[in-house]
Amino acid sequence: MVDPRTAERLTYRALYFACAGLVLFLGLLPLSQTPTLWPVPDGWQEGLPEGLLLFGLPVPDVLLCLTLLWVQRRPDFITVWAVAVVFLLSDLLAMRPPGLWTLIVVVGTEIIRVREADTRDMPPWGEWAVAAVAILGMMLAYRLALGLFLLPDVDTGQAAGAALMTILLYPVLAGILRVTLGLRRAATGEVDQLGKRL
Amino acid sequence: MARARSGDQDYRGPVRRILVAILCLVLAAVFLVWRIDSPRVERLRVALLDRIVPPMGWAMAPITTLADMVASFQSYDRIYQQNQDLRRELQQLKSWKEAALQLEQQNAKLLAQNQVRLDPKLTSVSGVVLADTGSPFSKSVLLNIGSRDGILDGWATMDGLGLVGRIAGVGQNVSRVLLLTDASSRVPVTIQPSGQRAMVVGDNSAAPPLDFIGAPEQVHPNDSVVSSGDGGVFPGGILVGKVIQTRDKRFRVLLSADYSRLEFVRVLRSRPEEAVPGAGPLIVPEPEPYGPALPQPAAPPPTITPPPLPDPTMSPAPEPASPDGTPDVTPDPEPVQPAPGAVPNG
Repeated sequence: MVDPRTAERLTYRALYFACAGLVLFLGLLPLSQTPTLWPVPDGWQEGLPEGLLLFGLPVPDVLLCLTLLWVQRRPDFITVWAVAVVFLLSDLLAMRPPGLWTLIVVVGTEIIRVREADTRDMPPWGEWAVAAVAILGMMLAYRLALGLFLLPDVDTGQAAGAALMTILLYPVLAGILRVTLGLRRAATGEVDQLGKRL
Repeated sequence: MARARSGDQDYRGPVRRILVAILCLVLAAVFLVWRIDSPRVERLRVALLDRIVPPMGWAMAPITTLADMVASFQSYDRIYQQNQDLRRELQQLKSWKEAALQLEQQNAKLLAQNQVRLDPKLTSVSGVVLADTGSPFSKSVLLNIGSRDGILDGWATMDGLGLVGRIAGVGQNVSRVLLLTDASSRVPVTIQPSGQRAMVVGDNSAAPPLDFIGAPEQVHPNDSVVSSGDGGVFPGGILVGKVIQTRDKRFRVLLSADYSRLEFVRVLRSRPEEAVPGAGPLIVPEPEPYGPALPQPAAPPPTITPPPLPDPTMSPAPEPASPDGTPDVTPDPEPVQPAPGAVPNG
């Protein structure tokens, strides 16, 4: 007989893998190779600035958003190994330099994980602010590392757009996961059914 | 129980920290190994894709179909407008078709007169797009053909209309096509009426910019852009797109290939052209088993010579050009898609 706490923890760990796998799988679908402006109907696209037409809307990093959500809300539901495996796989699939982005995300999530107990009584916008700082910090560190190793880098404007979209996605994804999976922050002093601190 | 657990955590904390540090070191080592010996790790990456992606085809097919259906449903609201546009376009195309037919006949005659052989080694293998990279900053797609079908790195790929990209990474069953829009893609091109050389430099946008144009004042919007074949890997003369000019006066290429719906892609099986090592073999050719050893030019000039005189210097083939000018353009000797086993170099 598995005790309910362990069962819950294992379920959520598996759910993280499932969500990450879904994001990676949807990213692999060969739908369109052109930048899209999908929320904008075709007739309205004439007056838009040229750069937007050429490059499309910046695409958020859904995987990063998902991982930050999980780490900030329930760090015991996501192990550092899960983060490493998922991001290393995404590095390999997305033709990024393997290991670098994984390393940055692992370090970033570990910093957040260590501070989770102190930041538990933060209001929701505080959590969002932490996520925003983390996203900006990680993307900046990645670009610095790419520059340091003389690797080709993307345009600053595009990278900034992607960071902004990722930050904007955070509360949306938080709402979706709270409704569908019941993933929420543990309150200060919250206990499980056995009276144990979370 | 509680004490046992807290004691457990007391000793697990430092151990965990050490393990995380080791994990970070391993990740950094992976990155450094990739940085030092990129080709080997890239081969590992392709081998991984080879394992992962093809079995996912069954799951991808219904979702891709669904997305296509949604996209075509979205296009219903402007179907009337499209219909009108298409009718107008059809009228224009009919006149073009007449012109094209006449030109085709003329071209066949001229080719017969000139005994020009279009490159017979340029055959192709068709593949289906399996997946894309799933990253907004890397534009490439995976095809379901690989080294099993004789695909080699660097070959050009096109859809029915124009150049799509080049092969970068070949696995056993899959190969990766680096699209022209990728930030690391560079393709030498010629801008057609003026003959200017330039590079199409991908920057993740829908229309990659043209760089290193010799004389930009000779380039105009709507000029056609074809691959130039410089560098020896790409065959020349493949349509890339046409020139557009953005408001910042920069020239970009509107790609001919339909990037919004890449489904079937042809990989052009190009052999490297024979290099001319020096002047010697040009002046004194190899003795042939038939006919006298005559000096011959390096390549037949593209100008059209008058037909009636079968000049031996122009046609080293055993039979001189048929003087009556009947079109005898030889068809491609190789089939378009050979059986996988029949590919010469695996």
